[in-house]
Amino acid sequence: MLRVENLSKEFRNSRGRQRNVVKAVSNLSFQCQPGEIYGLLGPNGAGKTTTLRCLSTLIKPTSGNVWIDQYNVLEHGQIFRSKIGFLTSDMKLDGYFTPDYMMNWFGQLNKMEDCRIEQQKEKLFNDLQMTDFIHKKIDQLSTGMKQKTAVAISLIHDPEVIIFDEPTSGLDVITSKAVTDFLVSRADSGKIVIISTHNMTIAEKLCHRFGILVDGELKEEGTLSDIIEGSSWDNLEDVFFSYILPGGNHV
Amino acid sequence: MFKDSLIILRKELRRIFTDRRLLFMLVVLPLVMLPLMYSFMGRANKARMVEINSYSSRITICSGEGGEEVRGWFFESLSALNAHVETAGTYELDSLKQRVIDKDLEVLVVMPDSMDDHIRAGSAFDLSIFYNSTGDYSKFAFDQVDIAFAAVGEAIIRQRIMESGMSEDVLTAFTINKQLAAGEFADLAEEGSMMGKLIGVMLPFFIVIYLFANSMKVGLDSVAGEKERGTLAMLLVNQVSRLSIVLGKMISVMVAAIVGAVSSAIGLRIASRYLISMTSDSGASISEYTMGSTAVLQFAIVVIPLAILISSLVLLVSTFARNVKEGQGMIMPVYIAVMVMGVTTMQTGDIPPEWMRMTPIFNSLVVLKDIFMQDAVWGNIVFSLATSLVVSAVLIFITLRMFNDERVLFRI
Ligand SMILES: Nc1ncnc2c1ncn2[C@@H]1O[C@H](COP(=O)(O)OP(=O)(O)OP(=O)(O)O)[C@@H](O)[C@H]1O
Ligand SMILES: [Mg+2]
Repeated sequence: MLRVENLSKEFRNSRGRQRNVVKAVSNLSFQCQPGEIYGLLGPNGAGKTTTLRCLSTLIKPTSGNVWIDQYNVLEHGQIFRSKIGFLTSDMKLDGYFTPDYMMNWFGQLNKMEDCRIEQQKEKLFNDLQMTDFIHKKIDQLSTGMKQKTAVAISLIHDPEVIIFDEPTSGLDVITSKAVTDFLVSRADSGKIVIISTHNMTIAEKLCHRFGILVDGELKEEGTLSDIIEGSSWDNLEDVFFSYILPGGNHV
Repeated sequence: MFKDSLIILRKELRRIFTDRRLLFMLVVLPLVMLPLMYSFMGRANKARMVEINSYSSRITICSGEGGEEVRGWFFESLSALNAHVETAGTYELDSLKQRVIDKDLEVLVVMPDSMDDHIRAGSAFDLSIFYNSTGDYSKFAFDQVDIAFAAVGEAIIRQRIMESGMSEDVLTAFTINKQLAAGEFADLAEEGSMMGKLIGVMLPFFIVIYLFANSMKVGLDSVAGEKERGTLAMLLVNQVSRLSIVLGKMISVMVAAIVGAVSSAIGLRIASRYLISMTSDSGASISEYTMGSTAVLQFAIVVIPLAILISSLVLLVSTFARNVKEGQGMIMPVYIAVMVMGVTTMQTGDIPPEWMRMTPIFNSLVVLKDIFMQDAVWGNIVFSLATSLVVSAVLIFITLRMFNDERVLFRI
């Protein structure tokens, strides 16, 4: 089980003489069970990336903590990293190498045995339908193929928790579906999946539970029916807009 | 930990040594740049000499009244030149000068009236010779005329001395280098030391340039590039420690730097042959310079720490910068400063000032020069090694601190 406990993150910016503190995430708490896909929704600058970076040990929370079972992010960074797979949409892999080479390399970085790497490679290449292009240079691949490669690389060590920051942004519907189907299959096999997105249609179809994040604060949390029942709207998108559009009843 | 560094290093090296374009820039360019440049310059020089020698200069002698016989001597002296000589009257002087200005005439000689009276009286007279240094052949023609006329002057003096009853031997007080034994040369420079000196003077500059250029080519992409592409995050969520990442990347940058330094040293070695044949008149001193094994060892002891120092410097900037472009902007001033150091060592004499020996980078360059001049002192070599390593350690320490600082890694 993954548990986020009162997570806050502040950035101190010093632009010129001015020093100001940006509260990117304030007092965020939620939980995810194995088999569950959790969607973190929010407009630009809401704090989604910041939250996911805290979850993946890249940055340290100002206060609060994150737990995976009995391990927490502040004390057990190394173990934490072995349990998570992290991916951001704005990542561009070095085009010089092949997907196959990168998989091997990231496998080694994760201290995996060679035979285990081979097993994982075969499984991921099949599941993501990548076998046609694993020996081509990444430079020569389409955007969708690149994203599939990135997904495969981030999961080479078969982590319990999958943390993807906007995994479908910039993809066409077919690749987008391939990626989301893949995530569903992971969740079905007992993994915890956490994604961030602005795409309500995908979120509604894909996620079991949602958190709506606005200005670093969690405004709504729960399943689709939890969220809709407590509001005067009948779909996720309208609830979302009511928090962020001027004139919305929560603004 | 070192095993992890090795995983990182292997990939970085594979990136460098299997990419033909990168390999060309890192290895081939420093190797062929200098030989190409010098052979080109040498060839251009030779072509120019051939062209000048085949050009027939236009010379006009403008003279006053009388003195036909004396004028004849001067004409005679010019007959050996590849020149077209004309005569003119003094009334044309202004238009002739204009022709020199217009590069329509290479040399204008103006002779005074009745030169033979002066000769007879044993007194001196004035010749004016005009040329135009901006013309392609004018100065060359002037020098030739000058030499030819000097010979006329000497003949006149010889004549006077003989007329006064003295022997013409009084004209020669001594000769230089007429009595050298067979196989003996005036230039006593040791075999190969001329090329050694030439390499010694130029090499520190090129070594430091290519150490820097190659470090930048590989090092800026190595961290700043990964930040820019967002792949650094992928690297950090793995099981490898940040120290291993820094070391692995550091060594790969260093390898690229050293490869560039060695290539440029070999390139300069090849180029120095053209350079010597361009600068020295006699072919006698073009003997090969070979580095002894001590010199090779000393070279390695100086260049490797220098490469470590420069690559840690580049890696530090690369870690701090948000992207490659910002990194380039930050490193440029340092690059220029180091280039100035290179030029300075090129221009200092055999005994550099003490502060140069104390300054990191500078002292390595000075010692490098000593090595090729064959007068390196081990104390200085060890000192430059020590300063380079100490400074590198400090730089690596700072880089490591930055690598553990999310404000640097995720700076926006
Ligand atoms: N490293 C940083 N330094 C300073 N401020 C930061 C940093 N990272 C994020 N912020 C600020 O924190 C806030 C939240 O940013 P974050 O990137 O988490 O939003 P997001 O929800 O991922 O937005 P988007 O949909 O645009 O990706 C923003 O105001 C941003 O400017
Ligand atoms: Mg984001």
